[in-house]
Amino acid sequence: MKAASLRIYIGTWVALMVLFALTLASSFVPLHGFNTAVNVAIAVAKAALVALIFMRLRTSTALVRLAAVAGLAWLLILIGLSLTDFLSRY
Amino acid sequence: MSTHATAEATELDEGETATFGMWVFLATEVLFFGVLFFAYVMTRLRYPEEFASAGRHTDLTLGSINTGVLLTSSLAIALAVRSVSLGAARAGAWLLVATLALGAVFLGLKSLEYWHDYTEHLVPWLDFAFAPPERNGAKLFFYLYFVMTGAHAVHLIIGLSLVGFMLVRLWRGRIDAASVAPLEVTALYWHLVDIIWIFLYPLLYLVSRT
Repeated sequence: MKAASLRIYIGTWVALMVLFALTLASSFVPLHGFNTAVNVAIAVAKAALVALIFMRLRTSTALVRLAAVAGLAWLLILIGLSLTDFLSRY
Repeated sequence: MSTHATAEATELDEGETATFGMWVFLATEVLFFGVLFFAYVMTRLRYPEEFASAGRHTDLTLGSINTGVLLTSSLAIALAVRSVSLGAARAGAWLLVATLALGAVFLGLKSLEYWHDYTEHLVPWLDFAFAPPERNGAKLFFYLYFVMTGAHAVHLIIGLSLVGFMLVRLWRGRIDAASVAPLEVTALYWHLVDIIWIFLYPLLYLVSRT
């Protein structure tokens, strides 16, 4: 196990707070229907920071990364395939 | 020589096995919450206007403070794991105390928020505030709001218990730089609960605030 430096952890937290402020502020600006897209994109970026740095996927073994990616892949299959059905109905 | 290399390539140490096991479990958690997120997407596509007006009634102030609190708690527990694995058990213990405190603040604010929701008649099955034609869509939004934040809160309570347990073990010297695995996987769980909230926050609190 390799511990990342203190600076990396603090920097990640600062980045998370900046993204948090950005998502909150952007919700008050009319973006012509793109508000939700911006919010979700920011949430994905925040989740990636937590997963890669705090959960240390950046330096994990291939096996651990595979387990993490498997969860995400099945989720995308679940949502993606279900949406193809749903979106074609309405 | 070659057998030695094979053994080295296939053997995982205890910590790596624990981390792998926890990630497999977290993948099932992602799917558990994933179903709720999909239900949200489906319902929002069906009732966009109702979700917009219902979404304006969630408590933006408390939801936002709680987002900051939870992101900070993730930093605290990440630093706790770092400290303990570097041999600084005392600093690690204080960072776990900070994690517990931030988690408790989150739950306290969430309870206060549920109370506000109750007094503002936002609980779908108790004298619900919205009248037709918005009623059905708004009801679905608040059902999802309560189920998703409720499931998240239950996970946070489990996380708090685990962190508390780790603090006791650290106190008794059962966890140190050489055996940090239990604390590490507890932190992974805590971070996942944080990630769930990272997605809940924009979907429940930032809908149509313009």
